[in-house]
Amino acid sequence: MARRQSRVMSDGEEPQLDMTPMLDVVFILLIFFIVTAVFVKEPGADIIRPETVTQDRVKPTLLVAVTSNDEIFVDGDVYELNQLRNIFEQLREENPRAEAMIQGDEGAPAGTVLDVQELLLDMGIDVTISTRED
Amino acid sequence: MRRKSRRGSDEANIDMTPMLDIVFILLIFFIVTATFLQEEGIDLTPPPESDQPPPPDAPPPIFVQVSNENRVFVNRDATAESRVMAAVSRIRAEQPNSAVVIEVSQEAEHGTIVRIIDELRANSIPVSISRAGEAQ
Repeated sequence: MARRQSRVMSDGEEPQLDMTPMLDVVFILLIFFIVTAVFVKEPGADIIRPETVTQDRVKPTLLVAVTSNDEIFVDGDVYELNQLRNIFEQLREENPRAEAMIQGDEGAPAGTVLDVQELLLDMGIDVTISTRED
Repeated sequence: MRRKSRRGSDEANIDMTPMLDIVFILLIFFIVTATFLQEEGIDLTPPPESDQPPPPDAPPPIFVQVSNENRVFVNRDATAESRVMAAVSRIRAEQPNSAVVIEVSQEAEHGTIVRIIDELRANSIPVSISRAGEAQ
């Protein structure tokens, strides 16, 4: 009944939905997701992470991998320890609130993992060591 | 059809639907990529250095060393990786509240270190990490 009445009121034309408020909302959502989008660059190395019982859940934005051959991977490329500071500076410029995670292979030299960790801590970036659930 | 559109042309009406389609696709893309990746990890950060000497009545720390050949020593006695926990709890039975210091050599295996620390932490024994060769 009501529908019929409104149709009559709108001069018998096709009922037109006003999309503008929805468009506004969708645009705001879109802008929110564009701004908050952080693209994490995977190191791109095959890592067998050590299993642990205790662990924290973290949301890292900067991933570094150390393989069992003592290679350091960031964003798909191998780097030497003395090149890492520059790479991290660049990555931090893209995302100033960077939180790092080191993915160390089970057989990786612990010294290298600790070297990378020291470098990151020295730059004021929080570090966690990646593990997997037992 | 034509007559109708002409009649409604007193108000310029833009068809928003294609734009809406695109905006929706962008929105869905960003929602999907925004799934913040969650990873599991442990904190291996060494404790901050302090200038203050430890209190004189503090129990001596238990040293767990992992050598370059990945051999494990608890207070200089060679042990297996899986028996570190047993050795540490035996020592802690005599000196309760002793903390554990893990001394890591450069070539020790990362997995061994993580597993030892994890096992000790799971039993709520305070662990700190230090590197072999550093002045204690």
